[in-house]
Amino acid sequence: MNFKGTLPTLILEAVEQEPSHGYRIAQGIKERSKGVLDFKEGTLYPALHKLENEGLVASSEEIENGRARRYYRITKAGRTVLAKDRAEWRRLSRAVTMILGEA
Amino acid sequence: MITAFETWLTQATRHLSRDAATQVRSEIREHYDAAKESAMVHGSSSEEADRVALEALGDARAANRQYRKVMLTSGEARVLREGDWEARAICSRTWRKWLMLAVPAGVLLAGIGFAFANQAVVAQVLLVGGLGMSLLFAAMFLPVYTPARSRVFRAVKWAVMVGIVVMAFWPMLLQWSWLLFSCLWPVAWVEWTRGSIRRKLPIEKWPKQLYL
Repeated sequence: MNFKGTLPTLILEAVEQEPSHGYRIAQGIKERSKGVLDFKEGTLYPALHKLENEGLVASSEEIENGRARRYYRITKAGRTVLAKDRAEWRRLSRAVTMILGEA
Repeated sequence: MITAFETWLTQATRHLSRDAATQVRSEIREHYDAAKESAMVHGSSSEEADRVALEALGDARAANRQYRKVMLTSGEARVLREGDWEARAICSRTWRKWLMLAVPAGVLLAGIGFAFANQAVVAQVLLVGGLGMSLLFAAMFLPVYTPARSRVFRAVKWAVMVGIVVMAFWPMLLQWSWLLFSCLWPVAWVEWTRGSIRRKLPIEKWPKQLYL
C-alpha cells in the first residue's frame, strides 16, 4: 500500500513508547498494520536520518547480544510533532470517512 | 566474489561522502543481519534468508536517492572541507585577521578620498571593490552565528553583490553578462551546495562557514 509521506509519523509513533533500532521499527510498523504497510526497508534509514536532522529523534549506539546497534528515541520536539500529526490524521480520516462511508 | 548484498550497498552509497557511506553500510549491514537471522529462526535456509533480507531492502537506487537527500554527498563534503581550510588559513595568524579587516577599510577610505577629489571613475572602482572585499573578508568577524541572523546576512550579502555587479558594469551590463555568468556561477554553485548542507546538518553541527 502506498503511504508516502506518513512514514516519518509512523516512525515517531514506533519509537514513542521506548527506544528502538531500525529493524524493530520496520517490523513493528508491518506487524501493527497487519502487513498492509509493507514498505521497502532500505528507505527507512533515510527517513530516520531526516527525523534526526530535524531534532525529532535522537540516536545512540548500544550493545545488544554482543552486537553494536543504533537505538532511536523520540525527543520532546518529536512528541509535539507526533501529537500534531495524530490530530491532523484523525481530522483527515474523519473527513474521508464522511465522504466514502464506514467500511 | 562480490555478493548481491555488496552490490546493493555499493549502489545505495554511490556519491555519498566517505563518512555517510560508512554509516549507511554499517546500519544497513546491521539491519540485513537481523533480517537474515529472523528468517533463519523461522526455518529458512541461509540462501533463502539472504534472498528474503535483500528483497526486504528494496531497490538500491531508490534508497540511494533518499540517502542523498538527507546525507552529505561527496561534493558537499568537499565544499565543507575546503571552506574549513580557508577559514583555518586566515584565522591561524592574528596579523592575517587584521589584514582582512584593514585592506577593505583602506580601499573604501581611498575611494571616499578620490570621490572628494572629483575623480569619479577611480572612486567608483575603489568603492565597489572595497564594498565587495568588506562583504567577503569581514563577514566572518560579524555576529551572524545564529540561523536567523545568518539568513538576514545572506540576503544582504546577495543584495549587495548584485548591487556591486550592477554598479561596476552599468550601463554595459547585458553586453558583459556572459563574463559575469561564467565568473559568478562557481560562487552560486557553492552557495547552492551550502544551502543543501544546511538542510542536511543539524544546526548544532554547522561549521562557521555555513552561517555566511
